[in-house]
Amino acid sequence: EDHKLSTSELEEKYGTSINKGLSSARAAEILARDGPNSLTPPKATPEIVKFLKQMVGGFSILLWIGAVFSWISFAIQLAQGAESPFDNLYLGVVLALVVILTGIFAYYQEAKSTNIMASFSKMIPQQALVIRDAEKKELPADQLVVGDIVEIKGGDRIPADIRLISTQGCKVDNSSLTGESEPQSRSCDFTHENPLETRNIAFYSTTCVEGTATGMVINTGDRTVIGRIASLASGVGNEKTPIAIEIEHFVYLVAGVAISIGVLFFIISVSMRYKILDSIIFLIGIIVANVPEGLLATVTVSLSLTAKRMAKKNCLVKNLEAVETLGSTSIICSDKTGTLTQNRMTVAHLWFDNQIYSADTSEDQTTQPFDQSSPSWTALSKIVTLCNRAEFRPGQENLPIMKRVVVGDASETALLKFAEVILGDVMNIRARNKKVAEIPFNSTNKFQLSIHETDDPNDKRFLLVMKGAPERILEKCSTIMINGKEEPLDSEKAAAFQTAYMELGGMGERVLGFCHLYLPENEFPDTYPFDTDSMNFPTSNLCFVGLLSMIDPPRSTVPDAVSKCRSAGIKVIMVTGDHPITAKAIAKSVGIISATSETVEDIAKRLNIPVEQVNRREATAAVVNGMELKDMSLQQLDEILCNHSEIVFARTSPQQKLIIVEGCQRQGAVVAVTGDGVNDSPALKKADIGIAMGIAGSDAAKNAADMVLLDDNFASIVTGVEEGRLIFDNLKKTIAYTLTKNIAELCPFLIYIIASIPMPIGTITILFIDLGTDVIPSVALAYEKAESDIMNRRPRNKRKDRLVNEQLAVYSYLQIGIMQSVGAFVTYFTVYAEQGFLPSTLLGVRVDWENNAINDFEDSYGQEWTKYQRMYLQWTGYTAFFVSITIQQVADLIIRKTRRNSIFQQGLFRNKVIWVGIFSQIGIALILTYGLGHVTALNFMPLRFQYWFVAVPFAILIWVYDEVRKLFIRRYPGSWWDKNMYY
Amino acid sequence: GVTLRPDVYGDRGLQIYYNVSDNKTWESLVTTLRTFLTAYTPAAQRMNINCTSDTYFIQDTFDGPNKTKLSCKFTSDMLQNCSGITDPTFGFPEGKPCFIIKMNRIIKFFPGNGTAPRVDCTYVVTNEASFLLYNQGDESRPLEVDYYPVNGTFNLHYFPYYGKKAQPSYSNPLVAVKFLNITRNVELKIVCKIIGAGITFDNVHDPYEGKVEFKLKIED
Repeated sequence: EDHKLSTSELEEKYGTSINKGLSSARAAEILARDGPNSLTPPKATPEIVKFLKQMVGGFSILLWIGAVFSWISFAIQLAQGAESPFDNLYLGVVLALVVILTGIFAYYQEAKSTNIMASFSKMIPQQALVIRDAEKKELPADQLVVGDIVEIKGGDRIPADIRLISTQGCKVDNSSLTGESEPQSRSCDFTHENPLETRNIAFYSTTCVEGTATGMVINTGDRTVIGRIASLASGVGNEKTPIAIEIEHFVYLVAGVAISIGVLFFIISVSMRYKILDSIIFLIGIIVANVPEGLLATVTVSLSLTAKRMAKKNCLVKNLEAVETLGSTSIICSDKTGTLTQNRMTVAHLWFDNQIYSADTSEDQTTQPFDQSSPSWTALSKIVTLCNRAEFRPGQENLPIMKRVVVGDASETALLKFAEVILGDVMNIRARNKKVAEIPFNSTNKFQLSIHETDDPNDKRFLLVMKGAPERILEKCSTIMINGKEEPLDSEKAAAFQTAYMELGGMGERVLGFCHLYLPENEFPDTYPFDTDSMNFPTSNLCFVGLLSMIDPPRSTVPDAVSKCRSAGIKVIMVTGDHPITAKAIAKSVGIISATSETVEDIAKRLNIPVEQVNRREATAAVVNGMELKDMSLQQLDEILCNHSEIVFARTSPQQKLIIVEGCQRQGAVVAVTGDGVNDSPALKKADIGIAMGIAGSDAAKNAADMVLLDDNFASIVTGVEEGRLIFDNLKKTIAYTLTKNIAELCPFLIYIIASIPMPIGTITILFIDLGTDVIPSVALAYEKAESDIMNRRPRNKRKDRLVNEQLAVYSYLQIGIMQSVGAFVTYFTVYAEQGFLPSTLLGVRVDWENNAINDFEDSYGQEWTKYQRMYLQWTGYTAFFVSITIQQVADLIIRKTRRNSIFQQGLFRNKVIWVGIFSQIGIALILTYGLGHVTALNFMPLRFQYWFVAVPFAILIWVYDEVRKLFIRRYPGSWWDKNMYY
Repeated sequence: GVTLRPDVYGDRGLQIYYNVSDNKTWESLVTTLRTFLTAYTPAAQRMNINCTSDTYFIQDTFDGPNKTKLSCKFTSDMLQNCSGITDPTFGFPEGKPCFIIKMNRIIKFFPGNGTAPRVDCTYVVTNEASFLLYNQGDESRPLEVDYYPVNGTFNLHYFPYYGKKAQPSYSNPLVAVKFLNITRNVELKIVCKIIGAGITFDNVHDPYEGKVEFKLKIED
């Protein structure tokens, strides 16, 4: 409101004086009331709370329960004076260590993601020049209060929201707030109803580029515009990422299985008259066997590997989980300028000799292919070269022309580079055609003019060159150049001009007209004093030469990227502040609006009927103006988003981006949004994945975003999507791999309880599989290449395409898992049989087997065993069971490389990391078996060499079985087999 | 492995406690021994042959009935005073109890390297035990033991064992020990080791390898 008030009203409102400022006492009072002029940091969760959260998240609770039970049984056994209670103590300690270490790992990962408020606070200006008690004082900016009179000068950051009272050539850079990159001039005049648009307010945290100004503080701290945006951004809750939801789903699933099997067997064992203590120990074993302890860390590692890979492709991921989110993206709301386009004006078309020529607009042009033989072009090129104030910054001769830095505005820069490419050394040409007079462009004239000597020593005439708005230029012409000849500008030729102008303008391009006049030598001799104020030279009856049109052209990689998105089922929506015509033209040229589709307006025009009569469903494309959007209800917006596959939002304010994002999310889409300004941050946060621009982006945008696009290039998003989809597939493989052995770890407990055989595998041994041999292989699957073109399928449906689906669980648990268990049990029985215990003698033997009082336990040979000798054999059994799971996990790892293709199609050796995984697996098993075989607490025993090979046939069986599965899936797509066996 | 009969286990291994004047406390122990020795009656041993050689009974052929190998007889009378024949109470009421030591069967095990392994029982010298003995005033008195058969040896002709199928009627040789000077009302820790080449008794993990330890307390 304050921008509408006069200065005296303001003085009254804030009880201050423009000349004297506030009194110190009054300022202190207001400071006490309003608080310091700084942004309130968000309520940070204390680090310890974050840490503890990691300690109880995921599977941790289950493992804690296991650890506590272990300690309880240890305590009971100790109290009873049993012989070896320490096993349970160790187990509890190991379980606790597992939870704590994975918790620390997860905490460390989370701590790396940064806090959004950090950069807001960095933007706060340090000192401000304030008038208080009629004196100028330097004060820390956070001491400012409403009503303070502050002075700012070029280079300062604005210390608060300020209503300007007096200015001298003041310009501010509002880019961090609004995204406009051009400096905005500021004055004391009220120019717009909207406080954001009016000229007499300067905003907190923006920069004063040049000039000086004095103003009154009208808002401080969180009440400033940027403070409100900041609180809005932190108010937008962080949605759970799709992968977090998937992992949660998976954790619930596995925990559910663990708890139900655990409780079931607890009941069974109690009713089978096992001691409660024993039953509890079984329960711990079942939990440990069911929980994939290493998996969550593996997922984190896999995600960070992908994140690294994406960073190499210019997608810097801040939030690890966003890696996958990008893969499941179904709508990308993209900025235009800089993301889809090159962010620089470039000459796109020329019109001379009654003909339109196209120019090359690619990023690295070195020549221009259009026909340059016409004398009209020679004349036009001269005007383009001479009537231009832009210059290359010196010392860039070795850089490609397109990369050189230019001093001058965007259009002039475009023209300069265009001329440089075609003619070479523009500066030299300008030097040879010395400038004698010049009228720079201004908004009232709408033209620019200069007068030059010519470089032809025989031609003593001066050349007057002019460029400007085409209609203005045409007004000043009486002739037009056709093929180098001046011809009278009749109505036919004027109509041709109009057509060309309309056509170029219709392509959303900025059109400039060019004309010239050779001043007659007799009237304007060498010494003629040109005076630009009195305009003592002709500015009418000139000769029209041609038109040039410019556009910020699309990046050359973008059309390809957009079509990739299209085939990947991702809808690309352009959201831009630009004019609808320009926006539509760019959208068409990059393929966001495909060549054949029409908007409602296009159909109306084609059928020559009013817009209202067009069947809106026929139009596949839509260009929505920001003004229309403002008046739309949510339903109308939903309708547009639903009914049109190709949408461009033009003239949108950054605030409307948030509305668009929310609209897309209502459709159930996973939305990626690009943005660079501070005011994009709410939309970036709201989006499922916010993508900030690395080059053009403000810090706040980068902080609000989940991902930073280092090269600002839309095409990089698409490579990111590809990586994201790949990691989802690969995580599926990792999980399938990891879950398989759970059955082989679980069955021993179940059979032990039911059949009372000697324990086949120990709880600690299981942990060595889960956290030892299996870890590197599961990470290695993250390096697997895609099986088919993952960019040719639709984005995954959040509700249907789960990370862990029924097929995956059934196939891993009940098919491969069972085979693995059988293989492991065969090894177990082989070891026992070779040592003297035939399988039949093992059934029901548990009570005697574990009885400390029996030291002459007879085997099938008639030999007698002491308790320790039996334990030794039991541990050998653990080791054999462990080894055979490991061997079969090698096969499991190989089959998990693909879900559909044959391993031989995928290549056994393409992913070298898999082999690192296999060797690590076997290496760790060897070390545990032979290296640590004498550490009693670990229960590993040096194993006879031949026992390593008992499970090999089963490993081969697993491989063959899976190849057959895949073969049928490929052979009979859509069949029962395909539906039930493909995960 | 070495085992002991009677085998009464407490929380921390073998514990044989009884009261000489209360026959209920030792009757079960005696019964255990008697039951254990039923496998060594002449009737039970009738399938086995009498062996006289003091060397290993090596059989490369299957000379026994039904293609088995022969086993040497071991009858309870070889345990003389501890056979339960002369003294059906195995000396328990007198406070001079008999215990039977048995070695676990191990196939093709040749204990003693040509010399018959023998049993040797001593007090386990722990601070606790010597303290108690000291308090009784007889700290230096060694454990007096009678061994049956003589010298407490396992005759070599019972070795090697060829397995259940080859020697279906094989029975382990035994050594009985009779403790003669057990102090009453004191818990004593006694270890009986098998002395012989190739038999170790220092495995820290396995308390029953090459030896058997037990606690004995006789009250009156």
